[in-house]
Amino acid sequence: MDNLPSIFGQHDLFDLEDLPEASDDFSRFLFNVRDRFGVDDIAYAGMNPVNGSIFGHVTYNDDWKAHYASQGYHKIDPTLHKARRSIAPVDWARLDRDSNFLMVFDDARDFGIRDQGLTIPVRGPYGDVGGLSVTSSLSQKEWNKLKGEVLVGLQSVAVHVHDMVIRSDNLSNLLRTPTLSHRELEALQWTSAGKSQQDIADILSISNRTVEVHLRSARHKLYALTTAQAVGRAISMGLIYPG
Amino acid sequence: MILVIDALNKHKFPKLLDEMFLLRGRVFGGRLGWDVSVDKGRERDHFDDLDPAYVIGLDDEGHVVSCVRALQTTGPHMLSDVFSEILDGEPPIRSATIWESTRFCVDTKRLGRGKGPNSLSYATCELMLGSLEYAQQSGITDIITVIDPVMDRVLKRSDNAPYDYVGKVADMGKVPALAALLDCTDERMDRIRAHGGIEGEVFISDEQALALPAIAARTKPKSDLEKYCEEQISAATTKQEKLAALRLKEVLEDKIRSRMDQRA
Repeated sequence: MDNLPSIFGQHDLFDLEDLPEASDDFSRFLFNVRDRFGVDDIAYAGMNPVNGSIFGHVTYNDDWKAHYASQGYHKIDPTLHKARRSIAPVDWARLDRDSNFLMVFDDARDFGIRDQGLTIPVRGPYGDVGGLSVTSSLSQKEWNKLKGEVLVGLQSVAVHVHDMVIRSDNLSNLLRTPTLSHRELEALQWTSAGKSQQDIADILSISNRTVEVHLRSARHKLYALTTAQAVGRAISMGLIYPG
Repeated sequence: MILVIDALNKHKFPKLLDEMFLLRGRVFGGRLGWDVSVDKGRERDHFDDLDPAYVIGLDDEGHVVSCVRALQTTGPHMLSDVFSEILDGEPPIRSATIWESTRFCVDTKRLGRGKGPNSLSYATCELMLGSLEYAQQSGITDIITVIDPVMDRVLKRSDNAPYDYVGKVADMGKVPALAALLDCTDERMDRIRAHGGIEGEVFISDEQALALPAIAARTKPKSDLEKYCEEQISAATTKQEKLAALRLKEVLEDKIRSRMDQRA
């Protein structure tokens, strides 16, 4: 935030590629996700609850990005502002075809972007909100099938990207220290000792699925995509001992 | 029949939500004696202001017979706040693919005994199924639910026993509360369907709900103003015309929407 020009005010748009740190990772990550999930484009937008600024990162082409920003569409885009009030992924078919929708998507079509897509709303613990949108030009039938296959994965990606972005904001950095429960720490500790999920379930006398729940929660709190990554971070933060 | 109401469609169903808060008032404030605040018969807390999703069971008439509330565990939710005693000082679970479900209740007055579609048993199973299916379709794998021991027994009796519990049983006012885990798997949903005798689709669309007798009866027919606006929108031939027509309707939205609230 410190490095951003002060002319950015309420509801202004930041292209995360212009941010000095970690920008490469975001970009690469979103392009990887796009290819892995078989969607046309992916866009993330997050809102800082304190000053209302919007952070964005997208795989859209540069022409559309420039047009979108110059028209100020981030202030009216219903896939951001309406969809984020849901708790479930919002297929854009559910959004009213109102004047804001028409404004954005009539132009988007000229840039080769369809109005078939969905937005996964994200809520963070500090009132921070965000949304991960994907678009697709598949037939409606194929699109519905694809949705069923990728939603669980996209949910995790959405929260991961959101947490990374919010964490990269200095303000929320101050607020953030991971709070892991005893069960989560135990599960990580036994994982680092080389135990399988079933081993841990037996050791702790809980079900395999509960171990998975604790590990998943721990991964999220440590902003890790894999359990191995979470174990590494927990060790480096001194939360658990090396196995 | 199950209808999901959230921030995107709640303007269409103001009376239905009111009925739901009244039901919660009767159940949690009255019958179960939970330590909740009830105002003019309606039970609400500040999580209702955070745009949760409500999974609501309706009878054939279109009256609320059951309801439950869902929130994401990544943001503010009950276990991270008011129910933290259950977790015994431990931080709450936070996951992109776990939702929290709270305020599960059914209307024992509107429902009968036995097993048919208007029975307590059917409505309970239908709501459990609806909330699990809604979560599964949203890419959610597990639900953590805050319940009392009575509800815990209801879950077990409905072949929907939690696969585990988190934290401890805590005293919440007059009654103990606990946090249980449910997987959103086909196996669990099949068991609930079999137990409740539920076949086919349980969800209804907004349009189907609006057509139910009790809901249609209190929605006035479209006003001339609304019809005029819609004619303008469909008659528009250019983007500019269409934008102008859409904006006209949006400016008049308050006048148009008030028809939903006309009759009680």
